[in-house]
Amino acid sequence: MGFLSPWFLAGLAGLAIPIYVHLLLRHTSTPRPVSSLMFFERGIQSSTRHRRLRYLILFVLRTALVLLVVLAFANPFIRRAKALRNDRLLLLVIDNSFSMRAGTRLSDAKQMALNVLASKPSSQRAQVMTLGSQLAILTQSTQDVKALRSTIEGIQSSDSRGNFGNLTHGLRALNETSHEPIDLHLFSDMQKTEMPANLADMVLPSNFALVLHPVIKTQAQSVIPNWTVESVEAPSRFADSKDSKKPSVRAVVAGYGTAAATRTASLVINGKAFATHKVEVPANGRALVEFPLVDVPYGFSRCEIRIDSADSFATDDTSIFSIRRSDPERVLFVHQATDSRSPLYFGSALAAAESSFVMQSISADQSSDIDPAKYAFVVLSDALVLPSIFENALIQYVRNGGSVLVVAGVSAGHRAHIPILDESVQDVHNYSRSNAFSSIGTVDFTHPVLQQVTSEGETSKGDTGWSSVKFYYASVVDPSHDRTIARLADGTPLLLDRQIGEGHVLLFTSGLENITNDLPLHPVFVAFVDHASRYLSGDDQLSGSRLVDSFIQLRAGSTKLSDQAESVEIIDPEGHRPLSLNEARTAQSFQLKRAGFYQIRFANGKQALIGVNPDRRESDLEPISDDILQLWTGSSSEEPATRAQRSARAEGPGRSSLWLYVMMFALVVAVAESIVAGYHLGMQREEV
Amino acid sequence: MMQRFLDPVILASISSLDLLAKTVVDGFVAGLHRSPDFGFSQEFAEYRAYTPGDDLRHVDWNLFARTERCYLKRYRGETNSQLTILLDASNSMKFASNRPGSGPPSKMDYARFLAASLFYLAIHNQRDAAGLIVFDDEVRNYIRPSTRQGQMHRLLAGLEAAEPRARTNLAKPLQHFQELLHRRGIVIIVSDFYEAPQSIVRTIEPLRFHGNEVVLFHVLDPMEIKPELRGPAILVDLETDRRLEVIPEYARKEYRKKIDSHIDQLRSLTQGAGMDYHLLVTDQPLDAALREYLAIRQGGR
Repeated sequence: MGFLSPWFLAGLAGLAIPIYVHLLLRHTSTPRPVSSLMFFERGIQSSTRHRRLRYLILFVLRTALVLLVVLAFANPFIRRAKALRNDRLLLLVIDNSFSMRAGTRLSDAKQMALNVLASKPSSQRAQVMTLGSQLAILTQSTQDVKALRSTIEGIQSSDSRGNFGNLTHGLRALNETSHEPIDLHLFSDMQKTEMPANLADMVLPSNFALVLHPVIKTQAQSVIPNWTVESVEAPSRFADSKDSKKPSVRAVVAGYGTAAATRTASLVINGKAFATHKVEVPANGRALVEFPLVDVPYGFSRCEIRIDSADSFATDDTSIFSIRRSDPERVLFVHQATDSRSPLYFGSALAAAESSFVMQSISADQSSDIDPAKYAFVVLSDALVLPSIFENALIQYVRNGGSVLVVAGVSAGHRAHIPILDESVQDVHNYSRSNAFSSIGTVDFTHPVLQQVTSEGETSKGDTGWSSVKFYYASVVDPSHDRTIARLADGTPLLLDRQIGEGHVLLFTSGLENITNDLPLHPVFVAFVDHASRYLSGDDQLSGSRLVDSFIQLRAGSTKLSDQAESVEIIDPEGHRPLSLNEARTAQSFQLKRAGFYQIRFANGKQALIGVNPDRRESDLEPISDDILQLWTGSSSEEPATRAQRSARAEGPGRSSLWLYVMMFALVVAVAESIVAGYHLGMQREEV
Repeated sequence: MMQRFLDPVILASISSLDLLAKTVVDGFVAGLHRSPDFGFSQEFAEYRAYTPGDDLRHVDWNLFARTERCYLKRYRGETNSQLTILLDASNSMKFASNRPGSGPPSKMDYARFLAASLFYLAIHNQRDAAGLIVFDDEVRNYIRPSTRQGQMHRLLAGLEAAEPRARTNLAKPLQHFQELLHRRGIVIIVSDFYEAPQSIVRTIEPLRFHGNEVVLFHVLDPMEIKPELRGPAILVDLETDRRLEVIPEYARKEYRKKIDSHIDQLRSLTQGAGMDYHLLVTDQPLDAALREYLAIRQGGR
């Protein structure tokens, strides 16, 4: 028993008022006149006794009223462990992100959660969630301790990257449906990299009382040296070509909180160590190690870069990826019979890009008996007049997943129809007539064709090499059905992308020779051809590596679902098929949730082997500083006093305020006092 | 309908005693109009055969003209009486159970209304001489009975001036009463009679010996007959200023027995002594008192 506002007890001085009125102030009863006392007799003893008794009751009621009101303001409380906590939901959130695999963090967190669960009153409801990339609800709110316990014991670590911003975001979403008071217990390693960019994203709703349970208790423990393979750069596809250089695998070995040391890095292909290098890693720094690829078997190879870290977090010592080795694929280049420049420029660029493609150049009139399905992709350069059989074959080819680069060239001026796209040329801009030219205006750098250009050595998006290209001639088409990747300065669409069926068609409204523009003379042309060919062939999707929780597109979004829809097939790292039969027919995309190799067969029939790695930010085990944690817990409740009260409640029995009961009792006493006092007043009136 | 004008609660709102008395008496007389038992002084009573010596003024000449016989017309109430009201103006008479204006008037006011009404009835209706003696423990005011012009105003002024004071003592002013009441008539004593009945009767009895018709109008407040106390109270005697703490149980039981016994005893003793006694409660109309007066007038004629 105690008082939350003991200063109000000073109001007990108010007790002096009824004491003065009843005991100190002398009662003067107004005498009542009568004609004669002839027939009256004295009755003093009885009257005095009754009066004193009644005044005593009134005095007691008034004293009690003052006392109760003062007590109510002083806010008395009692410590009640069970009754108080029953009203609040105990929410146990266990961080099972990738970093929790380090040491015994996850088991420690589960044990702490079980301890909290054991200390809860049996009638209090509790709920268990895990925090990975998203907040996952494992149980509904229940009082069943056994179910909660078994759920906690069954929590497995994931490969996801945790994010406290997602925690607060998920809890806010839950809070929109229910506003009940919640005691949130978070069991985590409090990794610094799990913080959102903005601390405001971590603010919890006011009905949450946050209690943090860091699995790393002391500052000495928190500095855990950890080496990891931070990134791997490897060609996803590897083809033998006589004149190309041998590709190599480059990996970055990083150390977090480490001293300078020599690590051994190995390239393992299909379980066999392919090469081993010693690498000097500076203190808390990074080092690059390079492995030449020489003898990779044909088909998909499961590769990994492995280091000997000898640290407590061994799971992040490898980085996996896949390489597909194949014969060079052929590219069909259809051009005007009179045009010899465009195949020359395009072929040169393709060769310079070290891409594993071999270009086959034919003129348009030779294409009638060509089957485009044999080619990785097709380029129609200035060849808008095609044999109809070939045009139909191209349309079918695109629908089944093939891709075509249509270059309008100069023939668009007298041939309004654009094959495959079924578009017509609305106008032709010939800038050279006025001895002028146009340059690139707006560019969509998010598109894979131009995005890669940016990342390869260009300093900024505004100076990608395209700005110096002069365009003299461009066709005008309606871009409303397409994704416009680039426009000229006057707004004329230059590069358009349209998805048809499972395939893509890129439309370049200028030409590939050096007549309509001087693009082939610029270095950016090689990068453009390289990445356009990669994009059109779809090679990037089939191998290489991804991050955990990234999505992979299984089929084109515009594909109409039907009974004959092609099923996709996914085999996860454990060898299971995560998609049901129905999902395999309908799913548009798939989230790669586990680290390891995924085998995927896409809807267009292409096979892929993708290595999935955890986000390397999880390898930085540095915890959040204490002052930020204090700030976070402070942001979840309103007042410091309330917070202290709540944290005290988490440790020991809670306080149950009694002011409401005291106030109700005071109300009853006030009513009784009114009745008794009214009786007395009535009697005094009568006496007057 | 007419009772409404006799209700003391309504009369208390009339400030002028003159108007009050006129209201009461006119209302009372109008209410009596159909009664065959009562008549007035100018009212025809009977014919009587003329005998020598009779006053010729009373001969009914109309009858003589028709029948050639001499008859005398006789009227009721030809004789005048003398009304003297002895008004107790002691302190006990100012008792009223209610606040002024909210209920029955005080006993003094009631007594004033009563006296004024009786004077009006006597002077205007009966042509009687009327006088007033105001007393407490001595005679404070005496207005000689008279039928002179302006007597009514003098009497009413005497009533107005009669403010309660001192205490009742019948024995002391009695000798003065006997000196003042030379002629036999009707003596009405209006008082609350807070004295022993034997003492009262013994004091008043000598008035009767002079041939007066003596009537006691015992004026009491309703709360004096049935006092109601919700709690113990300190009571103050209006005449002696003596204080007494009284409990409600006593007021409910013992007191009522005593006051009832007092009234009964007073009534039996006065009637035994040949006097009339009437208990007048201040919340009752005045007609009972007026009726009593007329009955005495008829009996005394």
